[in-house]
Amino acid sequence: MLIRPNRRKFIAGSAALAASAALPMRPALAASGPLSVWKFGGTPREVEMWPVQDQAFQAQHPNIQLDYTYYFGQIRRQRILAGFQTRRLADVVIAFGQDIPEFAGFEIIRPLDDIAGDKMAGWRERIVPEVMESGMHEGQLYGLPTYVDMAAFIAVDMDALNEAGFDRPPATWSELREYAAALTRPDRPGIAFPATTAPVDINIFEGIAYANGARIFDEPNNRVTLSERGMIDALQLYADLIADGSTPSGSSMTETNFRDTAQLFAQGRVAMWVGLSWLNTPWGAPESLNWTGAPFPRPDEVTGAQPPVAALMDPTAILMVSARTQNPEAAIAYLDFWSQEEQLGLWGGTPEFSRIPAGRNAWTSPELAEIWPEWVEAYNAGTLFAGAEPMPRFIGVSAVETALGNAIQQVVLGRQSAEEALQEANEAAQQQIDILRG
Amino acid sequence: MSPRSDRTLAYWMILPVVAAVLTFIVGPTYDVFTMGFTRFRMGMPLEFGSLANFRALFADPVFWTVMRNTAIWILGGTIGCVLLGLLIATYLAVDSRQTMVLRALILLPWILPDVVTAMAWRWMLHGQVGIIGQTATSIGLSERPISFLGDPDLVMWSLVVVVVWRKMPLVALILCAAIRSVPQEHLEAARIDGANAWQRFRFVILPHIAFSLTAVTVISMIWITAEFALPWIMTGGGPANSSHIMATYIYQQSFQFFNWGVGAAMSVVNLVVLVAIVTLYLYIMRRSWRSEADR
Repeated sequence: MLIRPNRRKFIAGSAALAASAALPMRPALAASGPLSVWKFGGTPREVEMWPVQDQAFQAQHPNIQLDYTYYFGQIRRQRILAGFQTRRLADVVIAFGQDIPEFAGFEIIRPLDDIAGDKMAGWRERIVPEVMESGMHEGQLYGLPTYVDMAAFIAVDMDALNEAGFDRPPATWSELREYAAALTRPDRPGIAFPATTAPVDINIFEGIAYANGARIFDEPNNRVTLSERGMIDALQLYADLIADGSTPSGSSMTETNFRDTAQLFAQGRVAMWVGLSWLNTPWGAPESLNWTGAPFPRPDEVTGAQPPVAALMDPTAILMVSARTQNPEAAIAYLDFWSQEEQLGLWGGTPEFSRIPAGRNAWTSPELAEIWPEWVEAYNAGTLFAGAEPMPRFIGVSAVETALGNAIQQVVLGRQSAEEALQEANEAAQQQIDILRG
Repeated sequence: MSPRSDRTLAYWMILPVVAAVLTFIVGPTYDVFTMGFTRFRMGMPLEFGSLANFRALFADPVFWTVMRNTAIWILGGTIGCVLLGLLIATYLAVDSRQTMVLRALILLPWILPDVVTAMAWRWMLHGQVGIIGQTATSIGLSERPISFLGDPDLVMWSLVVVVVWRKMPLVALILCAAIRSVPQEHLEAARIDGANAWQRFRFVILPHIAFSLTAVTVISMIWITAEFALPWIMTGGGPANSSHIMATYIYQQSFQFFNWGVGAAMSVVNLVVLVAIVTLYLYIMRRSWRSEADR
């Protein structure tokens, strides 16, 4: 084809080129268009307040058509994966921090560094650094956390404790066994720990094991480490408590998850229970119940090969942006909205008081100080997050945690010793990891 | 209209069904077969034509537990549904005021959503707070609360009871309709010839409903094989993998572990097993059909 330029074509072409070159330099327009959001899990209060707060987002961004959907937390991986495969994933997913390496590895979510621009400075200013860190993976920010949960904690019925002659919660594993035996009555076991296949039940045990220097996976060597001493001794603690007769029957605990165990505690059917930092609060303890929460007792002597961890923490409502979003501007506007103090303050004691808030300002809230004085004191002293690590997170974490869950159940049911069960679980998990990671 | 245009019209009329079957059944089945023979790494397909997924599956000790549980689930559930359904259908086929009401009421378990059914049964069967265990303890059947879903020896049978409760009503209604279609003259003739109730059932009713019986057996088997929500919500495959069936394990491998190749390989095994069972059953029942067709 022969091109014959003339003056008119040349001027028009040059003008078009200049206009297109100038496009990126013009000021950004307000975000607009459709924006879908999927939120997974949350306490009843949180599930209620999230869409209410979204109305404020809508008011601030009238050109964004927000489509918000809530899902049960335990199906998040399946729902997100199915959405991704069918190209119908929401623009923003609010899921767990533990999911980040897999979602990033499978290119389901995208790093926020690429799209958030100057918003990130404000986020870092308003969010507690240790909590912000929980959204990082391989040096990049993949999610905006709104709070974290920590493992493991213990809830204690103070009336039962005083009745048995104690004045403070147990602080070591040997004290725990002593307390649990002393608090046990024929109609009320001294302690219960959830041991179903629910991931939270497994996270609770991980908090106990990591405090004993255990780990579930050695990432650099691609090796599952369930059968190491620190893990075996932690699981032996469960076995010892059952052998002491201080718990409900093993078969009962394998069918009672964290939420149901909290209910049993609230009903006075068990004197202590093991959970995450929220303990009994999300499901409501009656006002007549005189109870307190404390960090789970520490091992008398750390037997694991790794440094003991003070607590494991995970942001269980972290906002991530889909790699396939067609509207990153609106997605970032939504994240930025939830990074503002008005929103982060919702976890500062009113209305929600069962999470560890991400917002720096939430820690100055008098309501939070009244409900959790020890948390606020530790935060102000700079010790709340000292020695804490993120929950295990790597590609294949679900397979390893499921194998660990099976080992816990085998031991709780008395079918295997801790060592046998963990050895078997280690082999099964390693096989799954080898298939997945090649 | 000529025979040729008749045939053309017939082809046009079945075209939507054929298209739907190709799109929603043949297409996904082809995908599953392809994935089953593809090796994946970190969710990315590496090479087609590999048996790695099947090797991994057969080396997995849980797989054999899953096969055993699936056999209990399918056979226990199908036999329970059909036998209990037949028993109840025989009663419902009798005309009376009570049976007229019962024919409507029996559908209640069928119309409840799966999730509601699973949650309700999970609570009723719970060892500490479940009404069933508490009743068993209070009337002296058991000294300690029974954890139906927490005991590995009881859990599969408890699930079978729930699935029978859920699926049986429709089986009973279909068989009730089949029994009521048996000609009264045949039953009358048998009675005159001195046949007792059992003989009338065995030699008159059963041969008449053979085709319906076969159909509901095959349908029940397929329903129960495909059932996922009940066992997953009630136990999540636990305790200690003792209630994992094919459907739940495929789901776990594919959507929890992201091992899509292994999940697809297991789906292929599942399909082969199901086709084998149904073929065998149809082969055994072919004589009953033939005798009915001759009549």
